[in-house]
Amino acid sequence: MAFVEINGLVKRYGALSIFEGFDLKMEATDRLVLIGPSGCGKSTLLRCMMGLEDIAGGQISLGGKEYIEGAEAGKMRIDAKIQKDVGMVFQHYTLFPHLSVLGNLCLAPTRSRGMKKAIARDKAMELLQRFGLADRADFYPSQLSGGQKQRVAIARALMLDPKLMLFDEVTSALDPELVNEVENTMQDLANAGMPMMIVTHDMHFARNIATKVVFQERGKVIEAAAPDELFGNPQQERTRDFLRNVLHING
Amino acid sequence: MELDFSFLLSYSGVLLQGLSTTLQFVGLAALLGLIWGFVLSLGRTSENHVIYWASTLYVEFFRGTPVLVQLFWVFFCLPLFLGIDLSGFASAVIALSLYSGAIISESFRAALKSIESSQFDACTALGLPRGVQTIFVVLPQAVLRAIPNLLSNVVSLFKESALVSAVGMADLMYVGQNIANNVARPIEILTVVALIYFAIGFPLTRAVSVVEARLLKVVKA
Repeated sequence: MAFVEINGLVKRYGALSIFEGFDLKMEATDRLVLIGPSGCGKSTLLRCMMGLEDIAGGQISLGGKEYIEGAEAGKMRIDAKIQKDVGMVFQHYTLFPHLSVLGNLCLAPTRSRGMKKAIARDKAMELLQRFGLADRADFYPSQLSGGQKQRVAIARALMLDPKLMLFDEVTSALDPELVNEVENTMQDLANAGMPMMIVTHDMHFARNIATKVVFQERGKVIEAAAPDELFGNPQQERTRDFLRNVLHING
Repeated sequence: MELDFSFLLSYSGVLLQGLSTTLQFVGLAALLGLIWGFVLSLGRTSENHVIYWASTLYVEFFRGTPVLVQLFWVFFCLPLFLGIDLSGFASAVIALSLYSGAIISESFRAALKSIESSQFDACTALGLPRGVQTIFVVLPQAVLRAIPNLLSNVVSLFKESALVSAVGMADLMYVGQNIANNVARPIEILTVVALIYFAIGFPLTRAVSVVEARLLKVVKA
């Protein structure tokens, strides 16, 4: 069984259908990058993985354990124990504005995992050191640049030792000159062996970090392949059209 | 018409007494109103229908009726219902607390609603239990965001408190009217009373703008 298995996922917003039976597999050594046109369900997929959306059907499993199972009534059952193994970083940082950087990192470990304050603090400082943010520990989010905020958000998720990290367009809200520092942080994380699912519009970054690229459109996987294959020799007409469009726009 | 403010010196002690009474019951009513208003705002954002409608009805009723009527009701009708004697001071505090609670709950409610849904997503993604989420994420942000409006609410309450003179409370307004009746010089005395209210209300209003500018820098990340 694969590390992540999504089988027959059904997700609808009222009459609008996002997925009608979506399947996807990912191995623990994979860094899966999801690409595709806006509104094709890339972010929704990550939100379903994180348990932020109710799904109408299907199953998601992680590490061989069933994690989300869609029920007929539309309300999912979610196994909170396995949910704890997933970390997520969002497009708009979502740091807690009333807490310092250190406070942001330590809130969840101390308040919901029973970690001792001193231990959480040490661990947080270690992470901040690694990310070159140690001198920002006592700053508030409003005093940080976008790139710093996003790296703090990554550190906050890592505090909980996730087995899988989800990145939902984490560089889309950033000024171009700040994109690199965030992507470098993610690359470091990748080099350290963290399994990731990444939604991005940055094709260059996608090609560099991915072990597998998934092109999806209208809630279906059109093509999934290693980055060199998918970008170098796409098999499907729709993949070619999409890549021609975005790469042209990117210049 | 000849204006003469000099006679007011001999009344300064009485005026100060009235001002002190005003500040005491406004202070108490503001404190109780803040607590009551926060409770009401939780009720108004509750998913429980009974709690939601009870608190909504309460707030709409107190916002939709004249404060003067509410004051008269608490002063003259409430003691009959409760079968006890209430001092004028207690009645003023009760009436203004009930009223300001309704107004203040709206400030808290707006602050609660202004917290972005992404904050709740972040809480879920970090696996924060509901209680931790409410106490450590929602509450502090709601209070910080509500502070400018709450200060405005308190300033309004301070000004509206002059209405209690109508039920015979010896507040600043009542004392002023009394002096005016005794010496038949309403222009001078009412002008001075207005200036006293302004001298206290104006710095408070300015404080609202300063606090607002400072807080917004922190809260809007």
